[in-house]
Amino acid sequence: MKIRKTSLLFFLGPALFVVALFYIIPLFLSVYISFTPMVDWNVNRYLTQFIGLQNYERLFHIVMYDPDMRAVVITTVVFVLVTLVINVFGGLLLALATYFMDEKMSAAYQGLWLLPRMTPIAVYSLLWYYFFHSSGIGILNSILLKLHLIDHPIALGLDPKYLPWGAWFIIIFVNGLVGVSYGMIIFYSAFKSIPKELIIAARVDGASTTRIIRHILLPLTKWHFTFVMVWQMFSLLMTYAQTFLLVEWRVVDSTWGQTWALYVFRTAFTTTKDQGLAAAASTFLSIIGIVLGIIALKALGYEKMILEPKGDI
Amino acid sequence: MVSIRLDKVTKRFGKVVAVNNVSLEIEDGKLYVLLGPSGGGKTTTLYLIAGIYKPTSGRIYFNEKDVTDLTPAERNVGLVFQNYALYPHMKVYDNIAFPLRLRKEPKSKIDSKVHEVAKFLRIENLLDRYPHQLSGGQQQRVALARALVKEPSVLLLDEPLSNLDALLRVYIRAELKRMQQDLGITSVYVTHDQSEALAIADKIVVINKGIIQQEGTPEQIYENPRNVFVATFIGNPPMNIVKGTVLEDGTIETTGSRLTPPPAVLEKIKRLKLKNILMAFRPENAVVSEHPMEGRFSPMGDLFEVEPLGRDAVVTVTVGEFVIKVVMPTREAMQLRIGSKVHVNIDPSTIKYFDPNTELNLEYIEA
Repeated sequence: MKIRKTSLLFFLGPALFVVALFYIIPLFLSVYISFTPMVDWNVNRYLTQFIGLQNYERLFHIVMYDPDMRAVVITTVVFVLVTLVINVFGGLLLALATYFMDEKMSAAYQGLWLLPRMTPIAVYSLLWYYFFHSSGIGILNSILLKLHLIDHPIALGLDPKYLPWGAWFIIIFVNGLVGVSYGMIIFYSAFKSIPKELIIAARVDGASTTRIIRHILLPLTKWHFTFVMVWQMFSLLMTYAQTFLLVEWRVVDSTWGQTWALYVFRTAFTTTKDQGLAAAASTFLSIIGIVLGIIALKALGYEKMILEPKGDI
Repeated sequence: MVSIRLDKVTKRFGKVVAVNNVSLEIEDGKLYVLLGPSGGGKTTTLYLIAGIYKPTSGRIYFNEKDVTDLTPAERNVGLVFQNYALYPHMKVYDNIAFPLRLRKEPKSKIDSKVHEVAKFLRIENLLDRYPHQLSGGQQQRVALARALVKEPSVLLLDEPLSNLDALLRVYIRAELKRMQQDLGITSVYVTHDQSEALAIADKIVVINKGIIQQEGTPEQIYENPRNVFVATFIGNPPMNIVKGTVLEDGTIETTGSRLTPPPAVLEKIKRLKLKNILMAFRPENAVVSEHPMEGRFSPMGDLFEVEPLGRDAVVTVTVGEFVIKVVMPTREAMQLRIGSKVHVNIDPSTIKYFDPNTELNLEYIEA
């Protein structure tokens, strides 16, 4: 028994060490920091000061009374909901389209949609920086100018005239374009794993393509749908990289283009450098994420998925 | 009811010719078995009849109606797969009702039809279960029910028994045959198992390399194979093949023994100017003994092995370069000594002669 324990530790050790170092410890640190008044990364001075729930009280106060923070909350809700729908259903549509294409076409098509994911975030963001640039050299502006739809360049993500819709449109568009490929890959491989005879049988039974999608493909990939939905919700709640660059490069408004995750990052690192408050906000976001995740899994019947099948095989 | 006609049907997948210029008539109400090794083109032929594949060239007719461009649903075929292909997320009832619901038939009619076919196949007590809660034999019945509930013009079965264990297979085989006869439904049945084909078929169509090798009743196929492929594919063990040399005096010599062929065979040998000939005989048409027997063609060889299979035994003898298998009563076979010199006494009237160049049975070469 003793030997088994040491060998267990030997094999699991490295992985446990990595998980502990990069996930568990930072998690506890971040929760801990939310109970300190840390600013400007002054670790020596503030790390030992415990101020209880003061940061959470401040956060609550800001959310209640600061209109800019209200914008962050609304932007987060709109961004996560709309992008989630685009990512999940866009991915589903792409997967269906490529499933019914012939192999070569579908591989090429999927490769195209994977490009944004394969491009480094900075390069990808730079692309959209040029596209949405508020001067005449912005690609969108020059197209609209050529078509005489506008007579002078517009700042879609910045001009108060278009806020909040302009900023929302840009961040949803840019993040949605990256996100759809994830659902596409998962759904496509799920469809491919359905025995071909089932599809043939349905055809012989007289099912049209839409019927096959409705009665065979979708019901049999219910769990993949649940998984993609929950996974994408988490990653949308936490994502900020592209949006951060677009805000920093002044393509979108820093208020209406800022999600909660980005607010956490900027508060900790660029604007007020108030790490205590940022840690409180990030802990709050994690709790929201966990609660939403559990609700989603419950609503979509995750428990049923992991139940053992009944009866003999 | 419906008869099926394939007229010069070819199916290519890229460079591979899966079905090569096949013409075939399937009579109304009969059970046809497409028999052949895997990759031979039999399932492709079945899918062409079903309408899942479109032929590269050629036409397919149900009665006199050209159905080549019709979908499987428009052809009204019922199809049963080797892995049953039941919809795993639907209960048995919904599986069977699925094709009727797609036809938008009224609920009450669907209900009575489902119960009727379920009663016929004795699966009424399973209607409320999911496929994964059924045994292999039960799933097979459900698959059959789903195919039959449409009252199809043709019933197509793709290796329907291959996923069942050996004992069950023999039982369900008989049930299938009985059911087909009771319903009188034109059926095409694909299998690679020759004994299954012999047991169940009204007519067997042997297919290999996308070409029909022979078509006929089980008796015709068994007794008089058209070519060497059919001879060595049908039977367990299949026919023994021995190569012989045709001598000046009209006798055939092989491994030191001589045989005088029947006059009709000799005539064809002369006309075709054959110097060599292939002779084939069934394992049950020979007896192995220590001494040659009267009125038999009896080449000599070494006894290699005796495998008793209950009543009969398979006796393996090496005669020169040839390995010969003989089926004879176990009691007699056990008298023989392994490694001793023995004679394989073949009934000369049962020997079939094949042209070694075309591998065709001489009886099938026009006089």
